Amino acid sequence: MNWNRKSLLAVEDLSPCEITFILDQANSIKNKKNKNLASGSLSGKRIINLFMEPSTRTRVAFEIAAKSLGADIITISGEASSLTKGETLKDTAMNVQALGAHAIILRHSSPGSPLFLSKIVDVPIINAGDGAHEHPSQALLDIYTLRERMGDLKNKKITILGDILFSRVARSNLWGLLKLGAKVTLAGPTTLVPKEFEKLGARVTHNTQSALEDADAVMLLRIQHERQSASHFPSLAEYAKVFGLGQESLSVMKKDAIILHPGPLNRGVEIESELADSDRAVILKQVSNGIAVRMAILDLCINNSSSKNHE
Amino acid sequence: MNKLSVQNIDLLGARIIDPVENIDEVRDLFIRDGTLLHCDDGIKKAEKKYQLKDHTILPGLLDLRTHNRVPGAVKSENMKSLTRAAARGGFSSILTMPNTNPASDNPATIRYIQDRIKQYSSIKVFLSGCLTLQSKGISIAPLGSLKEVGVIAVSDCPRTPSNNQIFLNALKYAKMFDLTVIDFPQDSYLSTDTDVHESALSLKLGLRGNPRLAEELAVQRSILISSHLDIPIHLSSLSSKGSVSLVKKAKEDGIKITSDVSAHHLLFTQEKISSYQNCSKLYPPLREEIDRDALLEGLKNGYIDACNSSHDPYADHLHDIEFDLAPMGAIGLETAVSCFIEALRLKDPYPELALKMSSNPHRILGLKLPSLVPGGEVDLVIIKNHEPWTYDCFNGESLSHNSPLHGHLFSSKVVMTVSSGIIAYTNI
Repeated sequence: MNWNRKSLLAVEDLSPCEITFILDQANSIKNKKNKNLASGSLSGKRIINLFMEPSTRTRVAFEIAAKSLGADIITISGEASSLTKGETLKDTAMNVQALGAHAIILRHSSPGSPLFLSKIVDVPIINAGDGAHEHPSQALLDIYTLRERMGDLKNKKITILGDILFSRVARSNLWGLLKLGAKVTLAGPTTLVPKEFEKLGARVTHNTQSALEDADAVMLLRIQHERQSASHFPSLAEYAKVFGLGQESLSVMKKDAIILHPGPLNRGVEIESELADSDRAVILKQVSNGIAVRMAILDLCINNSSSKNHE
Repeated sequence: MNKLSVQNIDLLGARIIDPVENIDEVRDLFIRDGTLLHCDDGIKKAEKKYQLKDHTILPGLLDLRTHNRVPGAVKSENMKSLTRAAARGGFSSILTMPNTNPASDNPATIRYIQDRIKQYSSIKVFLSGCLTLQSKGISIAPLGSLKEVGVIAVSDCPRTPSNNQIFLNALKYAKMFDLTVIDFPQDSYLSTDTDVHESALSLKLGLRGNPRLAEELAVQRSILISSHLDIPIHLSSLSSKGSVSLVKKAKEDGIKITSDVSAHHLLFTQEKISSYQNCSKLYPPLREEIDRDALLEGLKNGYIDACNSSHDPYADHLHDIEFDLAPMGAIGLETAVSCFIEALRLKDPYPELALKMSSNPHRILGLKLPSLVPGGEVDLVIIKNHEPWTYDCFNGESLSHNSPLHGHLFSSKVVMTVSSGIIAYTNI
């Protein structure tokens, strides 16, 4: 297929073919089958990593991905930018474009901010997480990791457990997994997993055992303190007790079910430390797969944008 | 005063609707020195004669929720642009909300606004004052002093006191001064930091949802307090189906509750924000089709008494930002009448329009009902039936452009507004 997008704003926008295409591209990159990419397909391109919220994995993975493709990448963090002096995101982005950026990778606390920027600047916008809306590159690397371990995801049962209400990772994964034919269960406390998610195509449960027992994979999510303005559960200790994944959870889970976590990990809260380090968990695999997936995203979006500009 | 000079005009051949006098017929009207006549007195000659076949004339309209930016944010709207926008939208009168900066909680601020009205207004501007100081819900505002300088209503719109004791005492206190109390029913805790209606769409967009319950709890509180104190309370800008049911029941029980709805909520649902459109981020939020249906039914059946513009201007630089950071509110004065006509989908919307945007708003504020009987200083609006027009927010009178209706095609158009006997707007 031909890739026709300049920006990657949301998984919800993508067709199943587009998702598979990105994942196949990432696979070629990971297995060093794509010689064009290895030789620096983004040589001479300038990418700005505009990170208005803290990040370790995503920021660094995008930096490594860009550099691996031969691009120059400059990271601007919120606290080190003129946004602290009252400059708007719109002005910051227009200035970044004026400085010759060929693409902007944006992380921002406002849902919809990548779409907002895509209407203001001409360069590709890659959404690296917008509030509680979407985190497309994370979901694509999660799905890549699931496919790597489980093959075709059609009719596979995937449980996403934790703070769904405030999670952009949950939303992007929900769209991506549903588009590839998987069955998605969203689980966690009633205050963090509204029933209305069923209208988006998920099964919702507040019973941990029911969420775990027939899942082929369990994706755990961190409690997003930074987005919560009210009390949603009594304490982290109680959360760990009712919804945390521990050794005893393994007796409920399928024997070959794998455990994913997008990080950052709160050991002892959503997952027991030993379990996080066990061979059931593919957490670090997700991190390293993130580089190939992000290389594929950057190459497809930026090169598609450049070829269109030449036309 | 910023009014057009023509004062002696003939309005010929229009349909006249006056719910106060129970008139609905084709009749000529004559305005001489600001006074309405039903026949030409022959003393003064008309400076202009208007042939108004296919036009409808109604008594002057009054908007119950206009957010004024003077003092505080005159780049968003000044008194001249505000009142010109109102006149263009068909309003002879508006009631401004007290969320100015500084807040309208003291006589000095009220006098300042009145001074601007005197200098720049082309229509009648009635003022509301804060119910509590700075609308913070902590101390009762000086309601007696506010009444003395001319305030006719009190409200903390677009908020309401969260403390029930303060709210109760403020209402008891307001009762002494015979001020109309307008409550903007939103539970402070459930509505704080919310962006949109709570639904599957808000979950999908990752936005903080305002549940129907936030409004319905506050509506029920006002109904109970109105019943307890035996005082009228007007509920501004209902948005949820449950609120309509509560108000219906209250009215049936004889409780002195009145309510209104914004014209935007009659026409639109939450789908308008499905791509993070800032101009459709309203307060209360646009909700679902079942809510819109209930609001329309409530209006038609009289449980909802009036329709407002919820005119809430924000300059472009304040509005052209990330969705969750953008302020809630939209301009509406220039579109409310056309919006109302379109949303109601009645074969003949004009009697309803006269009731919901003229008689009832005046009644709620305890003002003399405008009518088209001869002899009085006249307020009226002329609407051309079946006159398609496209709203261009950049070509209006308001200094702000935050409208969800930019580019919308309407079918009927306000062509003249007369306020206090003088033409405040015309494009005939």
